Amino acid sequence: MAEMQFDAIVVGSGITGGWAAKELTEAGLKVLMLERGPMIAHQTGYVNETKAPWDMPFRGVGDAEKYARDYPVQRGNRHFTEFTEPHFVNDAENPYATEGDTAFNWYRSYNLGGRSLTWGRQSYRWSDYDFDANRRDGNGTDWPIRYADISPWYDKVEEFIGVSGAAEGLAQLPDGRFQPPMALNVVEQAVREKISARWPERRLTIGRTANLTEAKDGRGECQRRSICARGCSYGAYFSTQSSTLPAAQKTGNLTLVTDAVVEKIDYDPATRRVTGVRWIDGKTKARGQAGARMVFLNAGAFNSVHLLLNSGSDTMPNGLANSSGVLGTHIMDHASTLSAIALFPGFEQWTTFGNRPTGIVIPRFRNLDAIDGAGHNRGFSFQGGALQSGWTRGKREPGIGAAYKDSLQPPGMWRMVLVAFADCVPRATNRITLDPKRTDANGLPILKVDFAFGAEEHAALAQAKADAAEMLGHAGGKVIMGFERPNPGGSAIHEMGGARMGADPATSVLNKWSQAHDVANLFVTDGAQMSSSACQNPSLTYMALTARAAGHAVELLKEGVI
Amino acid sequence: MGKTCWTRRELGGGVALLAAVVGMPAVVAMLSKDDGSETPSDRQRAMIRDVSQLVIPRTATPGAGDVGVGDFVILALAHGLDKSRVPIARDTAPATASAYLRIDGSLRHLDWLEAELDRAANGDWLGKPDARRAAILERFDAEAFAAKDHPWKTVKGLILTGYYTSETGGSRELRYELTPGRFDPAVPLKPGARAYSSDWTAVDFG
Repeated sequence: MAEMQFDAIVVGSGITGGWAAKELTEAGLKVLMLERGPMIAHQTGYVNETKAPWDMPFRGVGDAEKYARDYPVQRGNRHFTEFTEPHFVNDAENPYATEGDTAFNWYRSYNLGGRSLTWGRQSYRWSDYDFDANRRDGNGTDWPIRYADISPWYDKVEEFIGVSGAAEGLAQLPDGRFQPPMALNVVEQAVREKISARWPERRLTIGRTANLTEAKDGRGECQRRSICARGCSYGAYFSTQSSTLPAAQKTGNLTLVTDAVVEKIDYDPATRRVTGVRWIDGKTKARGQAGARMVFLNAGAFNSVHLLLNSGSDTMPNGLANSSGVLGTHIMDHASTLSAIALFPGFEQWTTFGNRPTGIVIPRFRNLDAIDGAGHNRGFSFQGGALQSGWTRGKREPGIGAAYKDSLQPPGMWRMVLVAFADCVPRATNRITLDPKRTDANGLPILKVDFAFGAEEHAALAQAKADAAEMLGHAGGKVIMGFERPNPGGSAIHEMGGARMGADPATSVLNKWSQAHDVANLFVTDGAQMSSSACQNPSLTYMALTARAAGHAVELLKEGVI
Repeated sequence: MGKTCWTRRELGGGVALLAAVVGMPAVVAMLSKDDGSETPSDRQRAMIRDVSQLVIPRTATPGAGDVGVGDFVILALAHGLDKSRVPIARDTAPATASAYLRIDGSLRHLDWLEAELDRAANGDWLGKPDARRAAILERFDAEAFAAKDHPWKTVKGLILTGYYTSETGGSRELRYELTPGRFDPAVPLKPGARAYSSDWTAVDFG
């Protein structure tokens, strides 16, 4: 293995790892992509994709006893079911620690494709309200880029992955290169109209989702099954398997190794360059290593930081690329909660057909040009949708016998759900470190998470609850429930930060090209690079920044700089 | 008559069990308590089958008992589905539950339910005529749903899960379409229309 030499090594095969591999191989580089988990092949690897509940040992619900023992965190993910269980990490075998009273749900997929198999597919551009957020309120460090820097890369990513959505002309949620949108259902359309009439600045629109409404590049159109996280043999949603991996493999420049848990990045203090990586085979425990002219870290925000922290050396005792000392700090996750559920009478004569794999979004409308938030000055947005209850409503209702059975046969009452996602202020006290005592099955120190939301997030979600109730009530709904307390950190599955981007090497890990200030041939292009969180789903931005960084890295390579 | 010996180990290995009993509803289990485990008795197995059938009876489609839901409930309770193996809320649960708690505070639902129904029947609930059993269960159900926390809600919930995730409940009583191929956002709902058990959003959030 020692003689393995590549132009680039990509650590991780998820949403950004796939993009790094695609961009670098298409530029002609010989690339090694390392995935810590097992192979899941496109199509043949989606073992439960087409099964019915009655084909499953526990009817799709799953073995709760096993989940309590082996998946105590992952079972809380709304996409975790008996069908999708193979796409989630076994918590018992892959522990992490929390500091003090931290409650943090770290949802993970250690397999080829990473969380690209199970992601929610919501794909939103960030705006200058987001890239300017830190400068405006003084929290964190200013982003060294603005919307104009990333906009062409959003174009490129959207056109490749396929994002369906509706253009709305909103400054806070820029329009993209969309495939045709999926339709709002009959209740959502009515609510959109009522909200827009009362609050012109508030716009309910269909979720912008990486599901194809038109076939492209050998990938089929979405079949409206909404079982995406099982894996999609049509290739109708963006995943590594359906999209970036085939593109990278087509170049003939990609070497893929699975079950490779990277433990360390090698660093040469003489040249101030990384020279390669070392890994442990997760199954055999055999050691592997390879050299490269550059390394891209795409292990997922926390694991990329973990790898940097674990790659310290005599010259960098606090971790690789950590001369600033901020590595691991300023982690974030959107503060999320169920803001409102409302019943919607008056639509009893309507139903829908098919399963739309996206909901609705109400983009941020607070704290835009004027600060109008009560106790907070960043944003929140809503996602959710209107749906009809099904047979599970019977669990809440008294009754037995034929009449009861018959009552559960038609679709039930319409209801609408709004879930808020609030901007998370970057704080130095929210951080990840290496646990000094505990190690995992590979002998590597486990990650320790220290995280809490602050007054701003609590205030934002309190306002979100009030706004959600007001909007749904105005639209004719009867609000029956709503919360303002944030779910535990990690629940939005948007954990990010830890190797933030910034202009100043003294206070940030990465420069504006997602390139380590300290190490010119080291790039971190997953969620770790984020300097602020915005309030919209971040994956599209990670992809765009990855493509942008890869383009820059190739230029540097051609120029002989790295 | 086929025979299956249920042991705690088999209950733990639910795959084989479910394949054995749900795939062949006629199979009769020979049950033993020789290892001091919670293996259900013959009587409890007959009871939960009958209870399931009373909750979801045979109409134009088979009932829950007909399609093996009783055995599903046994399996589900053994594996803690729907939080059936977590400690019950002692301050709001019925007082009768306290005699059937495990050391960890969770309830032995079948033992409790068997005793409750017999108590309500002033004797052998299973031995009563159909109408009498149904009347007792209906009253029991109404009382449970008037209470804040009641273990019957858990058992009934598992009966519904067992039925509507069975092929009969999911694709004959309701409709099942794995691959709709399109999304129609506004479809007039006709009288007698059946919902889709494959509406996963409704299952999750409905």
